[in-house]
Amino acid sequence: MFAARVSAARNVQRIARRSFATVVESSGVKVAAVDNGGPTSSLTVLVKAGSRYQPKEGVANALKNFAFKSTAKRSALGTVRESDLYGGILSSSLGREHLALTAEFLRGDEAFFLDVLTSYITSAKFTRHEFEEYVAPLIENDSAVAHSDPAIQAIELAHAIAFRQGLGASLYSPSHAPLSVTDVKEYAASVFNKGNVAVIGTGIDQATLSSLVDKAFANAAAASTPSTASTTYFGGENRIPAHGGQQTLFIGFGQAGAPSAELATLAAHLSPSPSVKWSKGLSPLAAALPEGSSVQSVYLPYSDGSLVGLLVQGSSPAAVKEAGKAAVAAIKAASKITQEQLTSAVARAKFAAASDIDTRQGLIATLGSKVLSGSDASAASLVSAFDAVNTAGFAKATSSLLSAKPTFVAVGDVSALPYADELGL
Amino acid sequence: MFGPLSISWASQVKASRSLYRWVKPIANWYADASRYRQFGFKYDDLLMEENPTVQRALGRLTDRQAYDRAYRLKRASQASILKQPLSKDQWTKAEEDTPYLQPHVNNVVAENVERQKWDNVIVKRN
Repeated sequence: MFAARVSAARNVQRIARRSFATVVESSGVKVAAVDNGGPTSSLTVLVKAGSRYQPKEGVANALKNFAFKSTAKRSALGTVRESDLYGGILSSSLGREHLALTAEFLRGDEAFFLDVLTSYITSAKFTRHEFEEYVAPLIENDSAVAHSDPAIQAIELAHAIAFRQGLGASLYSPSHAPLSVTDVKEYAASVFNKGNVAVIGTGIDQATLSSLVDKAFANAAAASTPSTASTTYFGGENRIPAHGGQQTLFIGFGQAGAPSAELATLAAHLSPSPSVKWSKGLSPLAAALPEGSSVQSVYLPYSDGSLVGLLVQGSSPAAVKEAGKAAVAAIKAASKITQEQLTSAVARAKFAAASDIDTRQGLIATLGSKVLSGSDASAASLVSAFDAVNTAGFAKATSSLLSAKPTFVAVGDVSALPYADELGL
Repeated sequence: MFGPLSISWASQVKASRSLYRWVKPIANWYADASRYRQFGFKYDDLLMEENPTVQRALGRLTDRQAYDRAYRLKRASQASILKQPLSKDQWTKAEEDTPYLQPHVNNVVAENVERQKWDNVIVKRN
């Protein structure tokens, strides 16, 4: 009993060590750092420049792919070669709300890599020839990859019909988009300003990072942050033909407003993935799935909306139809959860939330937005939110979620894939 | 040795006002006397394009610039076949004779120089 309590206390400490206890503003930019004692550091410049803010389709994707091209300080080649010499890795990733520019490197090289990241924010050149020679092929490649994966297609389409504008905007550029470098430049000018940027470091001291950020953003623009209409959930049904990939269904529900712990618990409850390798899992959904089909639970929280659902995939439309029926039954039965099922779902959701922030990407994806919005960015708060989940609250949250119009997407052989009403939605 | 991509004193001449005042009329006279404007060319059309550097720079022209360049080259070839300059209204005016390609070539050259620098860099860690 005593031993258990000691280890629980140690766990809390361990979690605290992974979280950003303090968020400091240095010269208008939010800075958060956590030193977990590893041999490498990473820096992420997080910008509120995701696809929901883009004025034109595909611009956010272009801005992501323009990262690390020539700036006033160094050329694209110089950036790559110099980072090579330091042995660092540069990457950029785009979400619906944020654009993240990340550098991972050995301890001690933070001054150089922060300069690489911030010079894109403050002094990128956005030349036309770079757009045409280097960026356009990357944009095209992103779209091609998204187009060849029915799961990505289904999730993109689900966002579009669930939220329409704002969060509904695609992360990818439509093929043959009439996109020019001027569009990208204008978008960059509107989003790359001090109030819209957070710098997040891991494996680096907060004071060091703050002073470096102070210098780097000394003469950055301070304009207003981009605005977007608040999210509304619509829902609906859509089907797109696709060939070659798996037959895919997305059955989901969305909600406007801040994501709640209940929805994360629901996603954990619906998830049929087993906790032990080579087993089928104990959930009723897992037992009902036919051979050759799989179901993943999808939980996508955003700052003012969330999407919860099941992604059903299979090799044949018939198998997908059967699996889809089981998935719908599982979703409908979710509000009649027993106490034991809830306890297990809460435990799994808690573990998922805590293990998410174990990795660097997860840490930035989960806590980065909180740093940027100035809310509590500690890992403990992430986990403790689940303590308040109880059966009555869960049932209420779930039934209000399920009372909305479902979002149903079918990708694949549309002549054979089921419609929403055929699955009992 | 001579030509648009060779050694140029233009920047030095431009920097000194008195020198510029002396040299500019001669330069104007020379540009007219070399008669490329009478064939509808711009000076940058005369750049030797049979090398990778200028080919890369040509790829950076806007569509409009590329079409106009192709048109000027065709019109001048036709005039060359007829063995006479274009009619006077089609001559390139001095103010139209802008360096539309030279800046791109300079950028490509600078990129090549930088690539060479990085290929031969000696790393010292202090």
